[in-house]
Amino acid sequence: MSKRYVIGIDLGTTNCGVAYVEPSQAADALHLPPVELQPVVQLVNPGEVAAQNLLPSALYLPDELDFPQGSIQLPWEQQPDFVVGVLAQRRGVERTNRLVTSAKSWLCHSGVDRTAPILPLNAPDGARKVSPVEASSRYLEHIRKSWDYTHPDAPFLEQQVLVTVPASFDAVARELTLRAAEQAGYPAVTLLEEPQAAFYAWLERHPGWRECVHVGDLILVVDIGGGTTDFTLIAVCEEGGELSLERVAVGEHILLGGDNMDLALARFVEQQLAAKNTKLDAVQFHALWQQCRLAKEKLLAHSNQASEHPITLLGRGTGLVGGAIRTKLAREDLERIVLDGFFPKVSSDEMPAKQRRLALQEVGLPYASDAAITRHLARFLRQPAASVEPGAIRRTRSGLAAPTHILLNGGVLSAQPVRSRLLEVVNCWLDQEGMPAAQILAGEDLLHAVARGAAYYGMARRGQGIRIRGGVPRTYYVGIETAMPAVPGMPAPIKALTVVPFGMEEGSSHQLAGREFGLIVGEPAEFRFFCSSTRKNDPVGSLLEEWDPEELEELAPMDVTLSADGVTGDTVRVTLESTVTETGLLQLWCVAKDGRRWKLEFNVRERVA
Amino acid sequence: MSRIVLALRSFWSILFQGQLPADIAQHFGYVKPAKEKPAPPPPPAFQPADGAVQVLGILQRDARLVDFLLEDISAYTDDQVGAAVRTMQEQARACLQRYVQLSPVIDGVEGAFVKLDLAAVESVKFVGNVPSGAPPKGGILRHRGWRVEKVELPQISPRQDRTLLAPAEIEVE
Repeated sequence: MSKRYVIGIDLGTTNCGVAYVEPSQAADALHLPPVELQPVVQLVNPGEVAAQNLLPSALYLPDELDFPQGSIQLPWEQQPDFVVGVLAQRRGVERTNRLVTSAKSWLCHSGVDRTAPILPLNAPDGARKVSPVEASSRYLEHIRKSWDYTHPDAPFLEQQVLVTVPASFDAVARELTLRAAEQAGYPAVTLLEEPQAAFYAWLERHPGWRECVHVGDLILVVDIGGGTTDFTLIAVCEEGGELSLERVAVGEHILLGGDNMDLALARFVEQQLAAKNTKLDAVQFHALWQQCRLAKEKLLAHSNQASEHPITLLGRGTGLVGGAIRTKLAREDLERIVLDGFFPKVSSDEMPAKQRRLALQEVGLPYASDAAITRHLARFLRQPAASVEPGAIRRTRSGLAAPTHILLNGGVLSAQPVRSRLLEVVNCWLDQEGMPAAQILAGEDLLHAVARGAAYYGMARRGQGIRIRGGVPRTYYVGIETAMPAVPGMPAPIKALTVVPFGMEEGSSHQLAGREFGLIVGEPAEFRFFCSSTRKNDPVGSLLEEWDPEELEELAPMDVTLSADGVTGDTVRVTLESTVTETGLLQLWCVAKDGRRWKLEFNVRERVA
Repeated sequence: MSRIVLALRSFWSILFQGQLPADIAQHFGYVKPAKEKPAPPPPPAFQPADGAVQVLGILQRDARLVDFLLEDISAYTDDQVGAAVRTMQEQARACLQRYVQLSPVIDGVEGAFVKLDLAAVESVKFVGNVPSGAPPKGGILRHRGWRVEKVELPQISPRQDRTLLAPAEIEVE
């Protein structure tokens, strides 16, 4: 009989990781089997295959000029027409317009068609392009094949697989992630939010966690990845005399991460060099970027007291010493750029600068326009509470959520000065309102926690280990056009019908019996679709007449075509039903009186911002 | 083959299969024996020098070692050389550790007295006032020595140009 594993996959913006558990290794119900990291077999140089703990989320689309014949073959593929991982990243530096990165950030960008071949954005005319969904599925496919190669006795298809997504991913981005997994030949996967996964990983490392937290505690998870920042609040509650955990809030999508910090440092050093008339080309700039990351890590390391770190870019030609560019990164500048730029000491009512909305926006990722992570955090902690909030979430007089513990995740947060600054800012907010200081939950695994936590969660779903309850972290609405006389030049006013209330649990469904829609058989019907992460108290079926444009975000529309046995042109009266599947997937259905059902599908193609 | 057998086999084969048996057809010259395809020339045998070129190629790719060794650095200041070497040495060390696992021959403190393990006498070089005849009992450890534990080099593809240490680079503006 083949072996059974639970596999957790961290599908990251810049790196992917894989971890697994062998459930049959459990000694007893109290002691979970250990979670192991699974290195990913990948090309690291032309003709050289090696297993590494992380798979860089980089996809390179080579042509015949790129690699010597046969040098990109993998143990499981003779002639692949793309390269994933370390080699893709390396070669991509030299030829950027064939490299796809940050596919994940594109997955949640509603301004583009995420299933159309648009990446790399700057690809020359006629060059191959892939869609964000395809790029993601290539990474997942590579992970599957690498698994099958390393575990010939345990086919990937027969395993329980979990894939993580940012908590800030909306329903469309989650569905596209599932679609990517399906295209990659995955079995049915379960999605899990990354900050929750990080917390599960902490639980896995601390079997005695019940002694560390108490009923009424509130845990803030700050997950700063390479390209995204994600916040989550988890409340410690009590149920039947046992401690239970409930995810009570998730933040909005912030495209801001560790890479931005290194890039900011590199841009700064580049400017210093430019002032001395030294120009860098793309490869040198990339080397500078890497060196700035190393310099940052060295200067921020615990024992380092140096006031600067040297940076040397070797000459491009055969003249290595002669062509070398020498400069340095001063501690003063580093602290100014990283600590004051990304983690400034702000007050808890300072909100991030609003995004400028230009009429003609350049197509590109909607990077956060305010780099201050602390301001984004203040905004997150000021999210209004849900009235059904469990365990009476701890809040200050002014309504700021008051965490008792902070769990950090992401490589950036391994630097002590960054950790201290973040803690200092949060504790300053709490202290001003007379709340006790929050503590850092120590002993985390900053780099691999998400994959490990996902594998642990797979065990929890089997009933071994504790599960964080949460439900859907947003409220979802469909837009209903009001029946009003048309005014030329003005769109018909729209109302929002709540179809999925905040916190709706997995495996439950809601009927919206009160409102009927007449759909014409054979013709596509489109529903506008909205979500909100801040409105948490709209009951299912309630109709919003007005709202603050900041509160509701429009997503890709959903459409359905009734291909019933009825005659084309017939009108069928349907009601809506919302469902959240056991694996956390949100679905909307049209239900006719006679019980026939049609599923609404996201239409990611048509809407262009 | 006897004539009777040949005749009978041909008869039955033509009657039931409509053709002569292949071996008989060939025997009487109706069909030319199929030429055996010439085997593809074997890839040039692996020379010891190929391994050396590969190692140099890897050190050049990852740490620019060949560039450095062949550069005339007499005109540059110690500062300039030092800065370049600091970067280069880090890369070269990472590269070496990746492909070759090394360990000291004698894991002792250099400058201190060590006893000689008689079984390991072959891997020790004696210097100084060495008595003739039996090896000495011990001495001051001047250099720990290096032993290769494991070499893990990527496979060289038979099609690869083995004289190519580093390709020329052309940037298209």
